[in-house]
Amino acid sequence: MGVVIEFKNVTYSYPLTDEPVIRDMSFTLEGGKFYGVIGENGSGKTTLCSLIRGFAPSFYKGELQGQVLVDGKPTVDYGPGELSLKIGYVFQNPFNQISGVKDTLFEEVAFGLENFGVPPEEIEERVVEVMKMTNILQLAEKNPFELSGGQMQRVALASVIVLKPDILVIDEPTSQLDPEGTESVFKIIEEMKKEKKTVILVEHKIDLVAEYADEVLVLKDGRLIRKDATAKVLTDMSLEKEGVQLPQMAILGNRLVESGVPLRYIPVTEAQACEVIGEAIRKGGK
Amino acid sequence: MWREKLQLHKTNPIAALYPSCKFLILCLYAVCSFVLGSIGVGEGDYPLFLIPWFFVVPILSAASGVWKRFVHAFRAVLFIAALILVVQALLIPSEKVVWQLGFLRIYQAGLKSGLSLSFSILNIAGMFVWLFQTTENKEFTRALEDSGMNYKAAYVFISSLQMIDVLGKNSRTIMNAQRARGVETEGNMIVRAKAFFPSLVPLIVGAITSSEERVLTLESKGFDVNGPKTSLFELKKSGKEPLAGGIAIVVTLAVIVGRIVVWVL
Ligand SMILES: Nc1ncnc2c1ncn2[C@@H]1O[C@H](COP(=O)(O)OP(=O)(O)OP(=O)(O)O)[C@@H](O)[C@H]1O
Ligand SMILES: [Mg+2]
Repeated sequence: MGVVIEFKNVTYSYPLTDEPVIRDMSFTLEGGKFYGVIGENGSGKTTLCSLIRGFAPSFYKGELQGQVLVDGKPTVDYGPGELSLKIGYVFQNPFNQISGVKDTLFEEVAFGLENFGVPPEEIEERVVEVMKMTNILQLAEKNPFELSGGQMQRVALASVIVLKPDILVIDEPTSQLDPEGTESVFKIIEEMKKEKKTVILVEHKIDLVAEYADEVLVLKDGRLIRKDATAKVLTDMSLEKEGVQLPQMAILGNRLVESGVPLRYIPVTEAQACEVIGEAIRKGGK
Repeated sequence: MWREKLQLHKTNPIAALYPSCKFLILCLYAVCSFVLGSIGVGEGDYPLFLIPWFFVVPILSAASGVWKRFVHAFRAVLFIAALILVVQALLIPSEKVVWQLGFLRIYQAGLKSGLSLSFSILNIAGMFVWLFQTTENKEFTRALEDSGMNYKAAYVFISSLQMIDVLGKNSRTIMNAQRARGVETEGNMIVRAKAFFPSLVPLIVGAITSSEERVLTLESKGFDVNGPKTSLFELKKSGKEPLAGGIAIVVTLAVIVGRIVVWVL
């Protein structure tokens, strides 16, 4: 698939600030791929998401230089509501992502579909399917205002993927989730990838990014300092100096290589580590 | 099957009336209150007809099957009305003193104006309480949208209703936090007031910042998309609306005619 998102020399500053938050960024994202975005707090990850979705600058105002293109068209040229069909956006803070007008979760998840005028029979089908997938169907009759943080986060994800957008922008969807919940969210996102959707995911849990993402973007102080295949970025030890946390397996692999253990490649996931370290041990034994 | 579950199945015929019909009843009731309040009784010209007329509100609520909720919500109104009655009766002076105890004097003009104001409040606020206790938020939304009101205006209306609940809960959370920090929140009025105002600040600031994200959430869920929307919840007329509306109109006409007769005589 071709390019779906393109940044051309993008520099952006929020209103009333002197320093730009995003500095001179240029890159392209291809359709059907899963992109992990990492970087320290305040490095501009959320702002990058807002730029893709067009909230910056149309909602936040501020100053944008360069161009952000979605399907070849600048985000500033899209009409109101037009991008909401194309791009699903899950916000970082799950607590303000409910419509505030529905009294059951079921209706809350259905809210977007109602706005798009989907027939009720189809709404019901899709909502049930997505609620099963995100494991919240048992909460369907609860009031959206009475949820735990983790439940809220699943609801936020569910009410966006139910819209079936081609592009998903997801900002730290697992901050409130336990390890099991986190794993299940990644499974869901992987499911989205199978449906040929483009996924842009901001996530601090580097081991999971290592396992699922095709490519990783590393942000630092508003600059894009790396964008490459996951295995390449996450084995780059020089990134440690930039304050990027690398996966445990990559660090282990590098240490092993340094101490003379010949590994065929540096692993980033557990499965890869088992494979290459196993190989090395077997070879060493002979 | 889910869609079926989301519908309301009201058994009480009054509560099941279409919201606009209930609103019509409310308006006519207010007209009647106004007309009845203009009839002066006795030498003090007291609006005494308002008092029996007020009993319609609790009776209607009981008949609608929401007696408990009505009483719960109505207590505050009752308190305010009583306060107004006392203050007005004691403070608006006139030549005629109806009753005197020591330095406390109840004046005729004060009593008249106090009765009129407090019972008008009881009548009209009481009817609103009845309307809101018998109608779910989603019924209002649908009714407003069906009446051709702009969906954005309907949203503002309905989300403010929901917000009252949520802010109430938040303020309790904040109060608890204040108490944990050693701020006194219980006790007499002055202590409570002192605790109340600091609580307002995080409450309001929180409401404003969350509204920004709310706007973006709505936008990303297609709230702004032009074109027809659909709804899982269907609002149906119960079929008794003409009857209920008819009764309300007849009663109102009777009250107006009665008023004119009193006038002429
Ligand atoms: N609405 C805003 N107005 C002004 N400045 C903002 C606004 N939102 C964010 N910023 C600033 O922009 C910078 C980048 O913020 P951003 O939210 O994009 O960081 P982030 O990488 O998402 O951080 P985190 O990991 O904490 O979510 C920060 O310095 C922040 O203070
Ligand atoms: Mg962020």
